[in-house]
Formats: sequence, structure tokens, C-alpha cells
Amino acid sequence: MVVDRNYRCSVTKPDDFDDFWDGVLDDVNSIDLDPSMEIDPLRSNDEVDVYQVFYNSLDHVRISAWYSVPKNATGKLPAMIQLPGYQSDPPIAREWAVKGYACISVNPRGKVRSRSQFDPGYPGLLTYGIVDRNSYTYRGFYVDAWRAVDFLLGRTEVDGTRIGAVGGSQGGGLAITIAAMRKEITAASISAPYLCGYMDAIELTHAYPFHEINDYLHTYPERRADVERTIAYFDGISFADKITCPVIVNVGLQDNVVPPETGYAVFNAISSENKKFYEYDGHGHDAGKYIHGAIVDEFFATHLKRGN
Amino acid sequence: MTSQSPVGFEEFWNDIDKDLASYPIAPEIEHIPMRSTEAVDLYGVRLTSVGPYRLFAYLSIPKGPGPFPTIYYVPKNGSVHEVIPQGTATGIRERYLTFSIASRGMRNSDRPYAAMFPGQLTDGLEDANSYVYRGIASDALRGLEYLITRPEVDKSRIVAWGNDNALLAAARRNEITHVVSTPAYLLDTVEHAVTTSSYPLAEFSDYLRLYSERTNEVKATLSMYNLRWHASSINAETLLRAEHAGGIYNPNVLGELEKRISGNVTIHESEQSSFKDGLFAEKWLTQKLIGPNAVPIVPEHWQSYV
Repeated sequence: MVVDRNYRCSVTKPDDFDDFWDGVLDDVNSIDLDPSMEIDPLRSNDEVDVYQVFYNSLDHVRISAWYSVPKNATGKLPAMIQLPGYQSDPPIAREWAVKGYACISVNPRGKVRSRSQFDPGYPGLLTYGIVDRNSYTYRGFYVDAWRAVDFLLGRTEVDGTRIGAVGGSQGGGLAITIAAMRKEITAASISAPYLCGYMDAIELTHAYPFHEINDYLHTYPERRADVERTIAYFDGISFADKITCPVIVNVGLQDNVVPPETGYAVFNAISSENKKFYEYDGHGHDAGKYIHGAIVDEFFATHLKRGN
Repeated sequence: MTSQSPVGFEEFWNDIDKDLASYPIAPEIEHIPMRSTEAVDLYGVRLTSVGPYRLFAYLSIPKGPGPFPTIYYVPKNGSVHEVIPQGTATGIRERYLTFSIASRGMRNSDRPYAAMFPGQLTDGLEDANSYVYRGIASDALRGLEYLITRPEVDKSRIVAWGNDNALLAAARRNEITHVVSTPAYLLDTVEHAVTTSSYPLAEFSDYLRLYSERTNEVKATLSMYNLRWHASSINAETLLRAEHAGGIYNPNVLGELEKRISGNVTIHESEQSSFKDGLFAEKWLTQKLIGPNAVPIVPEHWQSYV
């Protein structure tokens, strides 16, 4: 299959995009982070201490996370924010700690361990409140991920000038938004980015989870304009021009979940001067991770481990 | 590793069957318009498993005359309960009747028991009868028991699709004619868990690191679920989706199952590509359930390769 590397998505960034998100950030900044952290002996091992973390986010939703720190580390550590996929459960990212990073793996609202106050379910999360930008799931969901930066900045073992963001699929989409909205992000690795070019994606592929939107519009065709208007505030492509840190993006050309065309579109919209794209022919939603893993490690070692 | 199933193995599983038989399925069915189309109806089904515990399932039925070849998506290890797995072409629901059940602890079947992931795999692990997996295995069997009551199901073509639970279900229920399984933790669990820090197997190594004094009890519990002892009861034609050669459940390790499974077995070693591995499985399924000349229903970005 030939994939159009110059594919342009139909989304148009709203004129008041910044005003909207400034308002959301004003709302969340009025809420005390109030982090708590407790060692988890079951998940800790000889190399890594694992903590269960909780903090407050938008609408006073309590967000959970796993925080992994290398044992017996000395000096300030570079840090990593591991961002979760849509359907999978957020991982305990001990492997990043083994590599020398303090790593927080976030469970935004609706994910396991963060769903006591908000839980639209699966399928459902992608379209919950989608008729209005103020009610849409991802208004809070994005902020939940961004607040992981504030958690890290409060940790004495973390060097706040060396924070990376990494994720695949929804985690890739979240990595785009966090790199755009939090200038503390020093480098970002974005794999098979979901939540980019929504309205194109639902035509390019007919598989869940994007197909949730087709289901919704099939049921409520009269709401299409409202849906398109809402999504423009949440589409990764609308965030992309705000990204200036070093970025790598990888896609699989046979991705059955996130159309690779939208990966090109968001990459082309990223403003960073230091950005690189990796396409993997013969790969699906894995986006070539078995090959690409070493590239990700080297990328973060270059940008986050200076002075170590 | 001993060469014989553990003492009390048959009694343990017969007791599960007796427990299931003591509770009526008691299905309640509700149409779900948002996930239905001109070609397919989706229903939510509530039914009872051992406990008693009320479960939820998605039942998708093509419109038109049946019966239909059937895909039973056996419960996996994860919180999210899907209609069909992420990335599967939605058109597959027009060819097959599909049934996806959430075992206890998963979303939609999480009241009163909301499981943690990771966490569920070691819940009650120190005793075979209190281990949560006794209920999960029962839920997987109960799902099939409900499924075969449906007149729309073609009883000669039922595939169990999933992880280890697909093999467990096929071992205990001969109505399953085909299996597509990606074993991830129930074959010689302890022996493999202590060699890895990757989940889901790491749930067991985490547990044994903290509670090393319970090792014998844990081994006794898990022996009841060890696929090694269930394999000979599997008569279904089976596709085993193995990890690549460097992985734990690689073709060599799964060869232990291949030798024991009574039905024909194909082992596919992962090509470390979800596209290549997924396409192989879709082709295998289509060939076995539809016919050698049938075209698999695959997502848009795979269609050039079928």
C-alpha cells in the first residue's frame, strides 16, 4: 500500500485555541497538586523503588501514577514521563529506572486506578462529551498527563531541566500535547501518534478505537459540526506548532489502529528544528518498536543525560 | 517439572463444572443501537457465573440468515473490555458472530470486584480455591455455555480467540472447534516468571520476591492452571502464536504444548511485527472457518497484502 507522505489533514486550528487552553490551565492551576507518594514493596526490586503516586487535577479528580526510581542513585536524575495507550493499562515503567531515569507512568482519568470519579468506559472514552470543548473527555485527560511535570518538579531527586516524554499510540498523542504545553519537556519520543487528524483517521481506517467516532456520528449525524468544532481544540495537529524541543516520531506503514498518513501530517506540523521521522515498512501499530527501541534510548541519552 | 498432573487436578476442575451447573445462566439481553449498523446488531448480555457473580458481554450478530461462524473472544488479562480487539476491521462483525465477555474484575464486570492491573493475577494466589483465577476460568467457561445456546451460532465453527484462557476453555469444552491463542503466563508459570521482569509474568515474580515463604503454595495453586496439564484435553485445531526466538514463550517452549494437544497445531513464531503476525492469524482463521479461497477481512492498511 502506498502511503501519502505529504498527507494533509482537514483539521483547522481554532483562532482562540490558546485562549481556550489558557483558561483550562488557569482552572487547574487554582487546584493544589497535593501529591502523595507511597513505596510499593510488591513492585520494587533490587534495582528499582516503585511508588504509588496520587495528585489532584482538573475538576479535583485524583490521578494515580507509578513512579519508578533507580535504587541508590546519587545526584540529580533525568526524568521521564511515560504516557499510556488508549486500551492498555498504564505500565510500571521500571525499565526506565534501570536506565537511570526517574520515571512517572501516568494513569489519566478513566484509566485503571484513576476511575473512581470519572469512568466513561471503553468503548466510550473517545466520544464522551464530544459535542462541546468544555465537556470533552480529553480536556481533563490531557491536563492529567501534563500535571506529571509538576509532580516531577517537586521531587528533589529530579533535575527539572532534563525531562523527557515518551509514549505510543494514545501515549504518542499525549506526548505531542505535553511537549507543546509544557516547556519543561526537553525531548519527546512519539510513536504511532493517536488523537491526530481525527476526522481524517475515521475515514482512513475502520477499526476501534477511532471507529467509536463513526459509531457516534452514525447515531447522531446532526452533531457532526459540533464534533468537528470540539475536536479541533484537541487534535494533536493543532498543538504541533507549539513544539520546539527535539522530537522523534515513528510510524508503521501498515498500522491498523492509527493511520500512518496522520503521523506524517502531525510530524510536518511540528515546529522543532531538531525533529526526525522514522517509518517502518512491514509494521503495524507496533511502529517498528523492536528496531526503534535502541533509537529511542540513544535519543534520550543524547538529550537528557548530558553531564552524567 | 514433573511429568504428571497434580494430585486432585480432575477433582478441582470437576468441582468448577459442578459450581457452574448449580447456577442458571440467567441471561438478560439489551440491544445497543450505537454499536449496531445496517448489517450487524450488537447486544449487551448479562449472565451469571460462579459466586454467584454477574458478568457482562458483548454479542454481535450479523443480520440475515444464520447460523454464522463464531469468534469467542475469551477474557484476557487487562482492565478494558472491547467489542472486538483494537485494530480489528469492524467488517469482521458482518461475517462472524462475535462474543466478548468481561471476566470478573474487568470493566463492565467490575462490581463488586474491581481488579487492579497489575494485581489481579496474584489475588488470592496462596490457595487454589481462593485464587481469583478460579472465578476467571469459570467465567470463560460460562461465556461459552451461553454462546452455544444461541441459535445464530454455527456449532461446527466456533473459534476461541485470546491468550491462555482460550486454551483453558478449549480444554474444558469440546464445543470449541478452533483456537487462536497467544500464551502469556499459564504454561509453567513459576519457572518462567523468575526469569523476567516483564509483565504479566512479572506479577508472579514480584509476588514470590515479597512472599518467598509461600513458594510451595503458589506452585500448587498454579499447577491447577498449568496449560501443560490441560493440553491433552484440547481437540480443537489450534494456532499457537509464539514469541520470537528470544522471548519466553518462543516456538521451542510452546512445542511442549504442541506435543500434547490432541488436535492439529500450527505454531507461528512472531515476526516482531503486529502487522505480519496479525495478518497470519487472520488468514489462518479465514482458511479454517470460511474456506481456502475466502478473502480475509482485514483493516484498510493490510488489504494490499491479502
